[in-house]
Amino acid sequence: MIALVRTELTKAVRRTRTYVIWLGLVALPLLIVVAIHARGNRRRRGEGEGLFRLAQQSGLLVPAAVLTVTSGFLLVVVAGTFAGDSVAGDAAWGNLRYLLMRPVPRGRLLVAKAFVAGVLIWVCTILVALAGLIGGVVLFGSHAVTVPTFVSGVFGGFRLSETALVVRVALSTAYVAFGLTALLAMGTLFSTLTDSAAGAVGATIGVYVASEILDGIPQLGELRYGFPTHYLDAWQSMFTQNHYSSDMVTGVIVQLVYFFVFGAVAIVWFRRQDIRS
Amino acid sequence: MPDTVIATEGLSKHFGAVRAVENFSFSVERGEVCGLLGPNGAGKSTTLRILMGLERPSGGSVQLFGRPVTPGCRELARVGAMVEQAGFVPHLSGMVNLRLWWEAAGTRLASADLDGALHVADLGDAIHRKVRTYSQGMKQRLGFARLLLGRPELLVIDEPTNGLDPAEIREIRELITRLTAHGATVLLSSHHLSEVEQTCSQVLVMNHGHLVASGTVSELIGSGGSVYIEVDDRARAHDLLAGMPGVGAVHAQGDGLVVDLRRGQRSDLAAAITASGLRLETIMPTQRLEDAFLELLDGGDHPGAGDES
Repeated sequence: MIALVRTELTKAVRRTRTYVIWLGLVALPLLIVVAIHARGNRRRRGEGEGLFRLAQQSGLLVPAAVLTVTSGFLLVVVAGTFAGDSVAGDAAWGNLRYLLMRPVPRGRLLVAKAFVAGVLIWVCTILVALAGLIGGVVLFGSHAVTVPTFVSGVFGGFRLSETALVVRVALSTAYVAFGLTALLAMGTLFSTLTDSAAGAVGATIGVYVASEILDGIPQLGELRYGFPTHYLDAWQSMFTQNHYSSDMVTGVIVQLVYFFVFGAVAIVWFRRQDIRS
Repeated sequence: MPDTVIATEGLSKHFGAVRAVENFSFSVERGEVCGLLGPNGAGKSTTLRILMGLERPSGGSVQLFGRPVTPGCRELARVGAMVEQAGFVPHLSGMVNLRLWWEAAGTRLASADLDGALHVADLGDAIHRKVRTYSQGMKQRLGFARLLLGRPELLVIDEPTNGLDPAEIREIRELITRLTAHGATVLLSSHHLSEVEQTCSQVLVMNHGHLVASGTVSELIGSGGSVYIEVDDRARAHDLLAGMPGVGAVHAQGDGLVVDLRRGQRSDLAAAITASGLRLETIMPTQRLEDAFLELLDGGDHPGAGDES
């Protein structure tokens, strides 16, 4: 298993595409930080007191602001690319059949591929947060922040210390990365269904985008609670309401259910599949 | 150690209504160089994919070294295979591709015959270039290097010269000839008859998923058609052969005679000539494997079978 993971990891990290993605994920938070800094404290009507405005008080809040804008689509696209390409990429190169003509159990190969895709997804999420953190601390410093609140017509606020900010940034990064677990399992399954890496990547991203759109329709009621994207933003309450939402726990459970269901289907399918590529 | 390296019994593979392989039984013994001949769509590649555990048969059984074939089974470690085009990770060098492929099964590169494989590939410094810069012929040579890494007891080679230019085809054929000369057991699938004729001792002919003939090249050629002979007394030989059972027309051509065989072997003809006291100077088939192959295909049509290859 370790040998398989090592070979799959080597294939991934020696690919120019991987470096381009990493570069982009580092550059974007830095651009956002610079843009926030250039804008200063000027405030226009309708901008609100979002994380971006608060981020000017402390660079320790910038990762949270950056994760807010990247977790909904950019990280989904990146994760979909790694997961969807995991098997279909090798099939498209005509390399999959040669991997499978070795005395290696198919299930083990699939798990190794999914594991490497998962590692890359976590690395990407951490890169986004880390780039935001470094850029934020350089330009805004690392201070405690006071978050204003407006509850039941009463203005108030709470203070987040430097330590609390660091801990919550770490937790939110982990939660955002883990929130892509369902996508990883779906992408891996789709990747076994086609020889077209682009098709598998597109299908994976498409399912997530569809889930986000459907999640925005209140008429679907409780059905939405089962969507893989429903609890993706639950971590934001750590910064905006000063509490760890129980939705985060539910979100983790939903992700695990998708992971085991789609993961099991992917393994069963891949073990029985005729390799025609 | 079993001497039968490959054994299939009633092997079938159906894709819906399409019968790609139907009731195909054959065996390959240790040390044999066996050619799997057939036109495109005959079912050769499907047979080899089943043999390598890439596809599951719809019926029948297939064994390697006396053990049933399953996906990823241990017997695959004793096989070097190239099924259709050689595929590689394009953004990695030839050397890294070889290393990763070998190490994926948890084996160290030090245990592979890397020097021998690189010698066969003969890629020079290009082995360190990214595979995406390789020509099709270079990829095929790297494919041969990969299949030889594990010092395999059995080589399974499918259409090795497809898509190559004439110079590359010649290189690959010479390479196959060198490999077979070293005593390896080989199953070579091809629709290029000269490839099989030059390298294989045994031939299996497939058409529409069925086995339509099997035997040595000389048996396939000699089981019908005609032979050209030269003897010291042509007139006597003419009289002798014209009255022989299994012989059709006998007519003069050049310094010799062309004898049409209805049945029987060239060896029977040679024995009769020498037994009569004539000196046999030359005996050779006037038809090649290509003629025999086309005759077999004309007579072996199976309309129920499909086109899948």
